[in-house]
This record gives sequence, C-alpha cells and structure tokens, in this order.
Amino acid sequence: MAAQQFGDSLKEKFGDRVLAVDAAEPDQLRVEIVPESLVEVADYLYNDQGCRFVINGGTDRRERNGKFLITHFFAQDEEKLYIAVHAEVDGDDPRIDSITPTIPGANWSEREARDMVGVVPEGHPDPRRLVLADDWPEDLYPLRTDVEHGVKPPSCAGVAMPLVEPPEGASVVPIGPYFPVLEEPEYFRIFVEGETVVGADYRGFYNHRGVEKLGCSVLTYNQIPFIAERICGICGFVHSTSYCQAVEQAAGIEVPDRAEYIRTIVLELERVHSHMLWLGIAGHIIGFDTVLMQTWRMREPLMWLCERITGNRKTYGMNLVGGVRRDIEPEVYGDITDVLAKIEKEWRALCDAIPGDPTLMARLKGTGELPEEKARELAAVGPTARGSGIAIDVRVDHPYAAYDRVEVKKCVYDSCDNVARVLVRLDETLEAINIIRQALAEIPDGPIMAEIDEEIPPGRQAMSAVEAPRGEVFHWLLTGEENRPERWRVRAPTYANLQSVPTMVTGDTLADVPIDIGSFDPCFSCTDRMEVTDVKSGIIRVYTQDEMLALRESKQPAR
Amino acid sequence: MGFFKNLCNKAFPKSLWVYHTNTGACNGCDIEVIDVLTPYYDVERFGVKLVGSPRHADVLLVCGPVTRQVVPALKRLYEAVPDPKLVIAIGSCASGGGIWFDSYNIVGGADTILPVDYYIPGCPPRPEAILHGIAVALGLAEKQVAREHIKQLVDRNESIPIEDEVGADEVVPGDDVPEELLTPK
Repeated sequence: MAAQQFGDSLKEKFGDRVLAVDAAEPDQLRVEIVPESLVEVADYLYNDQGCRFVINGGTDRRERNGKFLITHFFAQDEEKLYIAVHAEVDGDDPRIDSITPTIPGANWSEREARDMVGVVPEGHPDPRRLVLADDWPEDLYPLRTDVEHGVKPPSCAGVAMPLVEPPEGASVVPIGPYFPVLEEPEYFRIFVEGETVVGADYRGFYNHRGVEKLGCSVLTYNQIPFIAERICGICGFVHSTSYCQAVEQAAGIEVPDRAEYIRTIVLELERVHSHMLWLGIAGHIIGFDTVLMQTWRMREPLMWLCERITGNRKTYGMNLVGGVRRDIEPEVYGDITDVLAKIEKEWRALCDAIPGDPTLMARLKGTGELPEEKARELAAVGPTARGSGIAIDVRVDHPYAAYDRVEVKKCVYDSCDNVARVLVRLDETLEAINIIRQALAEIPDGPIMAEIDEEIPPGRQAMSAVEAPRGEVFHWLLTGEENRPERWRVRAPTYANLQSVPTMVTGDTLADVPIDIGSFDPCFSCTDRMEVTDVKSGIIRVYTQDEMLALRESKQPAR
Repeated sequence: MGFFKNLCNKAFPKSLWVYHTNTGACNGCDIEVIDVLTPYYDVERFGVKLVGSPRHADVLLVCGPVTRQVVPALKRLYEAVPDPKLVIAIGSCASGGGIWFDSYNIVGGADTILPVDYYIPGCPPRPEAILHGIAVALGLAEKQVAREHIKQLVDRNESIPIEDEVGADEVVPGDDVPEELLTPK
C-alpha cells in the first residue's frame, strides 16, 4: 500500500494543511491541500521525495462549489505511484502561487491553466500566453463551463505575442511557422552569435484544436475514443488506450484479458512503425534521404498489417471503453510473426550500420546535449529522458494492459546527445518486436469487451498513463453527468520534451538545430491538442502591422 | 507575358511540384503524404516532387482543419506560391473541418481561407487515394465520384437527419481551374 503510506507521510509532514487524503487505489494517491501551501508541498514532493512533475490542470467547478480546482500531478516511479495534488481557489479572483521557480518543467502547464480557465499563476517567470491564438480576447477562457465549445470571437489583425528579446549582440534566425523539415507549423526563434546558438524562444500551439473542451462538453464516453485517437495520427492508439483505461478505472470496469493483450500488441505495433517513421525523418533532416526511403520501405508492410488488424492504417477505431472492438483472429498471428521477422532482420542490419556510419555520427555525436539533471528539471519523458540516462518507462514503472505479464526491458543510454536518442529507439524497436512475440504466445481466449450495464457515476477520478513511442502519455479524468466527463486532461509526451529545446540547441551550430528539434520526435499536434483559455499575460503588446514589419526587418540576421 | 503564361500552362500538367502544409492536422494525413513519396507508392514517377519552399511550388497540399492561429501564416503561404497554382485539400479535416468543425479554435476546412481545387477526403486518405487525386489533377485519371451537397449536422447531440442532397452536379473537377490546365497535353 504505497499510496497509503505516502499519504500518511504527507499528512504527518504538513498536518492540517493537508485537507484530505484518498488512497483507494494502491497506485494512485489523491491529496487535497490548502492552496497557500502548494509551493511547499510541490517542493517537498519534487526535491525531497524525488517525484517527477507530470502536468497540472485546471477545472471550472464554480457551478458546484464556486471554486476552481487546480490539480498538480506528480509521479513517484520507484513506488509505482501517481499523485494528484488538488487545491481549490476562489472562483471570483482565481490566483495560485506558481511552482515554476521550484520546478521549471511546470512552466507551460501553468501558463496553459491561465489561458484555459483563467487561474493566474502568481510569480511565474514568463507569464505570456501559450495556447490560444494571438487574436483571442483576453478575458475569454474556453475551458470554463459558461463558455460554449463553439464560441468564435471575431478575429483582429496585427496582434502578436510579445517575443523574447535576444541576448545583447545576438541575431535572430526565425524557423517556422512553415519550415520544410518540420511537418507541422511551429515557430522557433533561434538566437545566434555567428554560427553558434545562444538561446531560443518558441511560439507553438498552431495545432490547438480544443480536444479537451469537446470531450467535456459535447461528446459522450464512447465517442471520445474516436476524437482521442485523432489527437495524434501517429500514436493515436496510445491516447485512446489511456483514455479508456481512465474511464474503466473510474467506473470500476474489468477489462477482459484478451482485450488487454490485444491492446498491448497494437501499442507495440504502433511503436515499431513510429520509430521506423522517425528514423526516416531524422535521416531526411540531416540530408540522408536513403535512410528515409529505406526505413519507410521497411515500414510499409507493417502498415498493411495494421490495416488488416484494425481496419485502418492508423490503428484507429479499435478501442472502446471496456475493451476493444475487433478481435485479432488466430489466422492473422502467422502474418504478424512473418512481417515482424522480416522487419527484425532488416532492422538489425540497420542497427549494425548506423553506429559505424561516419556521416551520421558526425552529425549526431555531441549535438543536442541534454544533461541528465536538466532533463529531470524540465520533466522530459520517453526516449528523450532515456537518452539522458533517466531510466523511466511507464510500461515497467506503472504497468497497464498486459505489460505486467510480459517481460519489458528499459533501453537506456547516458551520452545525452542525439546519438543516444537514436540508439534508444533502435533498441526499443527490437524490444517491441520481442514484446509482441511474447504477447502472441500467451494471449488467452475469451471475450474482448466487458459488459457494461450501469451508468458511470459522476465525481469519480482516475489517472492513466501509457508509454507512447515518444514518451509518457498521461490522462486524468473526472467523471461527470450526462454520460460525459466533467474534466478530461491530456498530457502528450512532446509537451514535456519540447520545453527542453532551448537547452538542447544552446551551444550547437545553427545547422544542427533541425536535427536537435527532430531528435525527440516532436509531435506538435499532440502537444497543441487541448483547449486552454488564456489569461491576461502580464503585458501584451499590440503591434501595428508597420511596427511588426519594422521589427521583422530589424531582427533579420545580417546578410 | 503571353509567352510565359503559355509555357506555364504547357508545363503544368507534366510535372507538379508540391509544397505540403499542415494547418492543424493530427499528422495522420501528413505521414500518408510522405508515404506517397517513398518506394512503394513513389509519386515521383508522375513528375511530382516535394519542394522545400512555397516559392518553388505549383501545388499547395493542405492537411488538417484550419486553426485560428494558423490563418495569417496560411494566407502568406498561399500568396508565396507563384501563379498558376492549385490547392489540394487532403483528408476530412481539410475538406470541411472534420470532427473539429465547431470547435472554438477552428476556422473550418481549407476552403474557408483558400480557394481549393481538389478534395481528397478520408481519415486519413489512403496513399492510393492521394495518388488518385493527384492523377485526377494531372488529367491522368477520371474522377470517380459525383459532387454532392450535404448539410453538416449542426448539433452533435441531436440526431438531425442529414438533408437530402441538393442534386448531384455535373462532374467538374474544381470550378476555378482554367479548363486548359486540366487537359493533358
């Protein structure tokens, strides 16, 4: 009962500042604290207890008790524990102390909570807008319950987010929003002195589609997997799995064994194709298109296989609350092993070739350095963290689906550079193939869907995490009425990893920046998914078009 | 100018250079677009090439619903593509907003901002469908479906029946494209 012990120790340490402790599940702890002691509690969890910051989320509960609920999520990987720290803040003047000075990785999520529900993080070092469009009005917060999901305030031209000024003497190289090697629109401003990068600023969330708002206001429990899959077109299955697990946990639904194995198999198939895809793109970024063509050639039979299993090349449409929609027929087992055997053979050849390729090594070695300490501070996850020597992997630390019944090895490298992140993914692909074989050998017969005859009661909570190809996907769910969640919070891995960009690129040459950004397999659509409302971002400067042009001219790098 | 215009018109159906843009997509369509370029589908055999700058492009491929934040950048992007140009909307989202159609941060499908010449629906469209769409644009293949006007459901919660289609129009591949561009030379 790790959760119970942990809860007791918190209660002992903070006394009556801890209002309630709920440790009903052995791997999930929910604590309610008084908002004033948030920083202290966060500091204790992060620095003394070695917890990892996951995300925070804001919920508008003014209709129920006149307050906003701010929840910070932490993970204690050694104890296999997720911790939710709830604090309720005043509904009329919502403010809460910022924990970013203590935990730098909380930077974005606090800005997001301000954007989306309007809870101001006091003492935040960078209180600019994060998620909402530049021309979104200041006082309209999309995640509040009194705001319609389809509200479309009129747009206005010539508004821009205040940008960070480059250090003295540095020039700015803008990358994006449309840049050939980045598939998705994101805007980076890279500060350079000569060829050397000295810093970076970022404006993203061009792909923000308001997923969380739709989930909490118009969709029903069984419609959400459909939209959850479309948070990301590459690793869609991880989002629907994570969401379904959260609902199942909250409602106490037992998923049949066979469905858990099928989920495991599809998750690993997705990891294999995603890592192959990524290696190709990484090759393309550094101008080695042979890698792109070869890995994508190797990947294609896998896509056909996915289509055979799930009915869609993108592994869409498989998950439902309570199980999976389609069974894997025994006659497909043979095809799965055949395709994997072929991929494994070619992939092993690739694994031998890459570390010995002088061109690749020259570009990857020593670039994009992310020291272990920084990676922890910025809450990096997945291959990015494992390439910096941090041995975290949700499949081992917080097993879900059938991962407690198969053997999973963590692939960790500690050189902290782009090479490490490549090697982690090379190994993980083989490991994933191994997991699929184990799962296929052990998959039990039986039903694939649980019988659900009762309504899901409101007011229940659950946290669910899944190891996506890019790192930990985290979903938090608070069940509500009308057959839909009251709040559904999603944290995609790129959200955590992207905050490491300034650290990674600093000190490299400008030519290494694209591969640095590419090295953690950014998936901006995941990151930008949700809805956030904006809050007053301290100072928002409004530029006229002429001023913008003048600014742009003055910031152009010297020709 | 007449000379250059004729030259462009002549060259256009032979080799399309495309610039691919994501306006808020989930990546599903984007990776299928890349898939079309890789060995199994190999769209380069039709003279189609992916270019790194809109200024080199004949065709703008748009994936994803158009988000509010992306609108100014998308407009600039469109202006940067030299005339004559085609816009192809790939996927359900770019074709009409898809499942995001009424979300607060979504403006709509690509045609709310740009004149779209061809639609390749699907979620995501299969690589074969993208190939077919490009072949139609090049005049190599015939269009296989008729145009239909249907009204989008306004309220997700109430099952309002989809209104009867307002008659299937004549099969016209893109209204705004000059006829001479559509005829293979």
